[in-house]
Amino acid sequence: MTTAAVQDRFQTLVEEHKKILYKVCNSYCKNPGDRDDLAQEIIVQLWRSFGAFDQRVRFSTWMYRIALNVAISFYRRESVRSRHVISGDEHLLEVADETASRPEEVRVLYQWIERLDPLNKALALLYLDGNNYQEIADVLGISETNAATKISRLKQTLRQEVGAK
Amino acid sequence: MELDELKGKWAEHDRKLDLSIRLNRQLMLETYTKRAKFALWRLAAVLALGSITLLAVIVWLGAFTAKYWATPKFTIPAILLDLAAIAALVALNAQIGMALKIDYNQPIAAIQKRLEKLRLFRIRYIQAILVSAALLWMPSFIVALKGFFDADVYRLFATAWIVTNVAFGFAVLVLGIWLSKKYLPGAGYNLNAATGFLATLAEFEQDASYSSQERSSMRAYSPEE
Repeated sequence: MTTAAVQDRFQTLVEEHKKILYKVCNSYCKNPGDRDDLAQEIIVQLWRSFGAFDQRVRFSTWMYRIALNVAISFYRRESVRSRHVISGDEHLLEVADETASRPEEVRVLYQWIERLDPLNKALALLYLDGNNYQEIADVLGISETNAATKISRLKQTLRQEVGAK
Repeated sequence: MELDELKGKWAEHDRKLDLSIRLNRQLMLETYTKRAKFALWRLAAVLALGSITLLAVIVWLGAFTAKYWATPKFTIPAILLDLAAIAALVALNAQIGMALKIDYNQPIAAIQKRLEKLRLFRIRYIQAILVSAALLWMPSFIVALKGFFDADVYRLFATAWIVTNVAFGFAVLVLGIWLSKKYLPGAGYNLNAATGFLATLAEFEQDASYSSQERSSMRAYSPEE
């Protein structure tokens, strides 16, 4: 396959899964500038790892693993050093104002995710996006039973923090 | 509010997201071609610049040691400096080797542990450089004056002056540590944050056991639910 063909395939796959990019960036960064920067870092890492992408694994699982790894490192970085960000006016992800149309429940979920630590943020995102325990365990590198227990605890936390309605 | 109820709302919202998000393909292409190259270039530049500088220092100190081999008052400080420079070169290359081996395509717990260990290594490397700077400034002064100006510090200054300066280096180091602990409680923040996150990761990886309440509320889960 030529480089152009590989690039095209990569771009098409990422475009099909752009929601993952959006949700991860939104969950790990408050600042829109940081979100854009994180999105770019994720794209760079995805491209670097694309050659090693195992086709037997779902692209979404693979993308989640890399995106979350980059996001956690980004989140944990003490000081934001000056980075080589391409273009000031253009954005990698152009989003129509969806925050205004977010249902109240989704708004609550985003606020709750924002308060979680970086590892539990990853767990919550993977669960909410419909990954099963095995997939969650594979992405996080923990056992399936451990993933199940942690999700059960997350549910309890949500119940306590958000309260019963 | 139950997470499983909210999950349904999340999925509904997720379907709508497809229509409201647009990925800028042109910018994406520029990002992963230019920025990836820039990151590699920066890493290569740090490695090349740092390694060449340290290698030059090591070679120069080696030549200095050979030249003054019969004069221990010059060779001992030069050997000390040479050993410190070799250690710095090894540590620099080890850091870059560790960074290059990080593959983001691995499970989160494993990669985050490696990244945090690398961060810890970098913090300790900087600490070691600061400590050596306080302790090795006198040997550096002796060797630099002899090497560049053929001046003998032992003749120019009294032995008491040299001993006082070595002792002063120790004192500055001890005082610096004490002051930072007393007045800058955040000074050890990076180190504590790194070790703290490593502990969190270890805890996260550890198999959690269910409480009886959790066990009774557990049921098999599949994404089709």
